[in-house]
Amino acid sequence: MKRTFQSLSSALIGLLLVTLVQNSGITVSDASTASPTAIDPTLLHTLQVRYKTLGKQLTQLMPTQPYILVDTARNHLYIKRGDQVVLDALASTGSGTILDKPGDSKGQWIFDTPRGEFTVQSRLTNPVWVKPDWAFIEEGLEVPGSQADRVEAGVLGEYALGFGKGYFIHGTLYPRFLGKNVTHGCIRLNDDDLKRVYHLAKVGTSIMIF
Amino acid sequence: MNVLRTILSILLSLPSVSWAAEQEVIATLDLTDPAALQEATRVLEEEIKLAARPQTYVLIDLEAKAILIKSRGVELHRLQIERWSASHFSQLATAYHLLERPPINRRKINPIAGTDQDPISLADMPTTFTLRLSPPLTLLVISHTDGNLWQWAIQRGHAWWHRLTSWGITLWTGNRPPSSLSLHLTVSLDHARSLAWTVTEDMPFLIRRTTIP
Repeated sequence: MKRTFQSLSSALIGLLLVTLVQNSGITVSDASTASPTAIDPTLLHTLQVRYKTLGKQLTQLMPTQPYILVDTARNHLYIKRGDQVVLDALASTGSGTILDKPGDSKGQWIFDTPRGEFTVQSRLTNPVWVKPDWAFIEEGLEVPGSQADRVEAGVLGEYALGFGKGYFIHGTLYPRFLGKNVTHGCIRLNDDDLKRVYHLAKVGTSIMIF
Repeated sequence: MNVLRTILSILLSLPSVSWAAEQEVIATLDLTDPAALQEATRVLEEEIKLAARPQTYVLIDLEAKAILIKSRGVELHRLQIERWSASHFSQLATAYHLLERPPINRRKINPIAGTDQDPISLADMPTTFTLRLSPPLTLLVISHTDGNLWQWAIQRGHAWWHRLTSWGITLWTGNRPPSSLSLHLTVSLDHARSLAWTVTEDMPFLIRRTTIP
């Protein structure tokens, strides 16, 4: 009995060890070192030419005009021209909170600022806010039937830049919240920064958000 | 007058064109190393495809020990890698897509309570997490613990659990699990949180390997 148990356990251990070795693969780490090899000059030249060509192709995809860069984690909006930072503004971006849609057991709004690349689609002066459903539901109010009851003036600042799906770069009545994630997805700026962004950005200007 | 205006507009556009041409696309590249060049061209070929579309993507540059958040070839943000290790290293040669973000504990707004919920912030992001990519690749992000023994133990446990489950699946089914390709990245606490914050579902990932034979 004892011998059977011993041979069974050693077989199991053996199997486990074989499996470990087979599945560990070759583990490479940053501490590994390379060994020297002979260099073929023709191959090297071909690779250098290919690398330069591809490098040019990639740089041609980079924006040549000023673009807007938004860091949602640190709540900053930058305007950049190449490597040069033209404007560094404190911003407020999406809070990441969620709100259930009443009467829809699975539906909910997630208040994130969208990530990715967008373009300025509209430039507005003295914008008014047409309050969406969530703005009422969040405050425990009934959603009005009339469009006129949704309009609120003077809360978005003097300018707004739309970048699609109802998202805007706009002003704020609460500058003390700049630098924090408090919005429903829009990007808020103080009055001075908003004015500069409005004048620097055109319709079509890239907005890169991460 | 029109000619003068045309000349002036050409001259004004020159700085931006020359800026683009002077950019060094891969900073830490030894142009006399064929293996490094081969890897760099492979990555550039993949990156050109990604940069041609309006999206952000992640380039894990193991040679530069950096995680780069990029869009249109432009580096938007850089996170430093302190240490890394990889299994089946030679196979990490394709473009990947993130299957899902690390889970985030989002606060729910309660309209009846009438109180504002705390927004999520970087501090809410996980510091050790696994990213599953497609084609199958497991990216284990571990934050540098700065001598915090408890956190170190949790992270080691996390890494060992991952290995044990892979081996267990193999032992049980006789097949290699699809996630056997793995890359472990050790980054600072802030950078781990930043990465968890930044990644989005379906986000493309590229890996530039070091030139180890």
